[in-house]
Amino acid sequence: MMRRLLWPSVVLALVIAYPLLFSTPFQQRLGALVLLYAIAASAWNIVGGYAGQVSVGHVVFFGCGAYAAMAAYAHFALSPLVGIPAGIVFAVAIAALVGGPTLRLSGHYFSMATIAIAELARLIVTNTEYLGASPGLSGPAVPRNLFDLSFVSALPYYYLFLLVLAITLLITWRMTNSRMGFYLRAIRDSERAARSLGAPAARTKLYAYMLSAGLTSVAGALYAMMFGFIDPESGLGILISVKMLIMAALGGAGLLFGPLVGAAILVPLEELSNSWLGGQGAGLTFVVYGAIIVLISRFQPGGLLALAHRLWERHRKVPEAAAAEAGHAS
Amino acid sequence: MKFSNFLGLIGAAAILVGSASGTAAEDKVVKIGAVMPLSGGAASIGVHVKAAFDVVLDIVNNAHPELGNFPLAKSAGLAGLGGAKVEVLFADNQGSPATGQNQTLRLITEEKVVAITGAYQSGITLTSSAIAERYGIPYVNGESVAASLTERGFKWFFRTTPIASDFAKVFSDFLADMKAQGAKTDSIALVHDNTEYGTSVANTITATFKEKNLNIALDVAYGSNATDVQSQVLQLKERKPDVVIMISYTSDAILFAKTMQAQDYKPPILLADDAGYSDPDFIKAVGKISQGAFNRSSWSVGPSGSPSAIIADMYKKKSGVEMDDTVARQMTGLFVLLDAIDRAGSTEPAKIQAALKATDLKPDQLMIGYKGVKFDDKGQNILASGGIIQLQDGANYVSVWPKATADKAPVLPYKGW
Repeated sequence: MMRRLLWPSVVLALVIAYPLLFSTPFQQRLGALVLLYAIAASAWNIVGGYAGQVSVGHVVFFGCGAYAAMAAYAHFALSPLVGIPAGIVFAVAIAALVGGPTLRLSGHYFSMATIAIAELARLIVTNTEYLGASPGLSGPAVPRNLFDLSFVSALPYYYLFLLVLAITLLITWRMTNSRMGFYLRAIRDSERAARSLGAPAARTKLYAYMLSAGLTSVAGALYAMMFGFIDPESGLGILISVKMLIMAALGGAGLLFGPLVGAAILVPLEELSNSWLGGQGAGLTFVVYGAIIVLISRFQPGGLLALAHRLWERHRKVPEAAAAEAGHAS
Repeated sequence: MKFSNFLGLIGAAAILVGSASGTAAEDKVVKIGAVMPLSGGAASIGVHVKAAFDVVLDIVNNAHPELGNFPLAKSAGLAGLGGAKVEVLFADNQGSPATGQNQTLRLITEEKVVAITGAYQSGITLTSSAIAERYGIPYVNGESVAASLTERGFKWFFRTTPIASDFAKVFSDFLADMKAQGAKTDSIALVHDNTEYGTSVANTITATFKEKNLNIALDVAYGSNATDVQSQVLQLKERKPDVVIMISYTSDAILFAKTMQAQDYKPPILLADDAGYSDPDFIKAVGKISQGAFNRSSWSVGPSGSPSAIIADMYKKKSGVEMDDTVARQMTGLFVLLDAIDRAGSTEPAKIQAALKATDLKPDQLMIGYKGVKFDDKGQNILASGGIIQLQDGANYVSVWPKATADKAPVLPYKGW
């Protein structure tokens, strides 16, 4: 028991101590960004990983949160924090509305429908004056008080995001161990089989979609607060959906810590490639994204965590067998 | 510890100290951060601005007596800092406000740049300058035109470029002048896309024209990257406005020119707002069927031998394309920043900020057609302005207004093809 908990607690301690170990402003910010994207990717993971419904339009929910936070400031001079619950309500409502018809679609057709909806949302917002249209909405240029959640240092963001990520993962973990989690995995493996065994497939998928939407919108609101600006491209652009998907897939879709591992690799890669190459590596990020999609889908559909798990099992089998023999001998 | 070991330690320490002071003496490089779109939809801007900034660095870091009294050209390096050389560190904003902000933070905290310039897209300039403001690092913007940027009460943000309201004033003055010369300007049509650029410029022109009692009879909006603009052109053909103002990006501008020819429609005056109409690709594709189009520009080459002509030549050699208005405004932003650092005689942010506030450059000290550079309390250049150019032969724009700086007289009406 003790040994089983050793490694997870070391990792947890490292995650908590990260901003103190890597304390330059840029490193701290990088850490905060990893956690932020991990929240979004973990939220995507609920419907994309566990339920196997690959949504490429999750940015709609991200945008709900981001726009709600900025609108709370821009139109009502309130703290962007107030926008979080409003964003969740919008996101869940949209998910319920959209999920009904689209979740009946299977495989690629579902993915395509979600892309269409995301693009639709982007175009509508681009032409909606209230939401800032194309110029976008900005948050407080200079923070008025603590509740604007606008800090120079990334340290407060880091721990705030860590807390939200912990809650997200806790919810996900509870879900996987509940009846709903078993239904979802059954649906992912074979929807027809799950249905014939009496699993309420449509309802379960819809609940997962709504849960995922609400959590994604929180990530969007946190993003908007940190950067203090949102426009149709940065709040509803398809690239954000793709990022969530790739981070989860790289780490391991359908695994609790998969999205975190994916974010911890991709976010630093994206930001650091910019500085290593001194602006020479124009567009390298997108090349890397493309390569990762190809490599994962060809060689390791389970993601890096699944690969690590397999290697670990192989490595453990030998000593375990020896230990078992020793046990027999005594 | 043996004495010889002790001596060795002292020696090592001495070497360390020596090398440290050595780097201090060589530490005569002034680092400027440039946050620019090097990838994404506006990547071509990044390619051009890199070549343009190379030209600026060449002028500042090497002696260029042929440029006469042009600031920073005569001697090698920044004279105010004992001939220190300038280095520009580029960071890719990837067309994302978030990346732009992260990279600005990196340039300030990791690369220790003393000032920032950028970031082309207004939304990215907004997030990126917010970080510089918090860190107290001067930020000079030469090209973003969203009015809100200088309305945030920032103390470290300075903008040299004219903004939409300045251009709207140029348009209304120009049209008033044309009217005085006998042209009809009673009804005006605005044609614009629904992007941030198209909407905001159209709104500003509408507001300014209303004040000046110019009548906007028709407002034609269309979706950017259009595949068909027949109905828009038909609308114009039916209403016959005296002046058509085009606010369009390149591909749409080309489509409009072709559709106008196909439907044999020529407005008496066609006035364009930079963007697509300034793109060399536009001139190559449809310049011959857009003869007589007016356009706004702060940039004009000027007589040969003048600093602007020499700089344009250097730029063309470096990049392979002609200098355009955007690049010239970006270069001007960097020149103004370097001039302030030179006058500050220091790389201390507060001293650079003070020097920027005291900036008072005259037209002959600039490579672009502003009336000068002088910042108001908000950091906006109050002397920023522009003029009108015309595509008379369908191949090259010539400056035609205001009269004082014009190379040729404006030709009316619009000739088309």
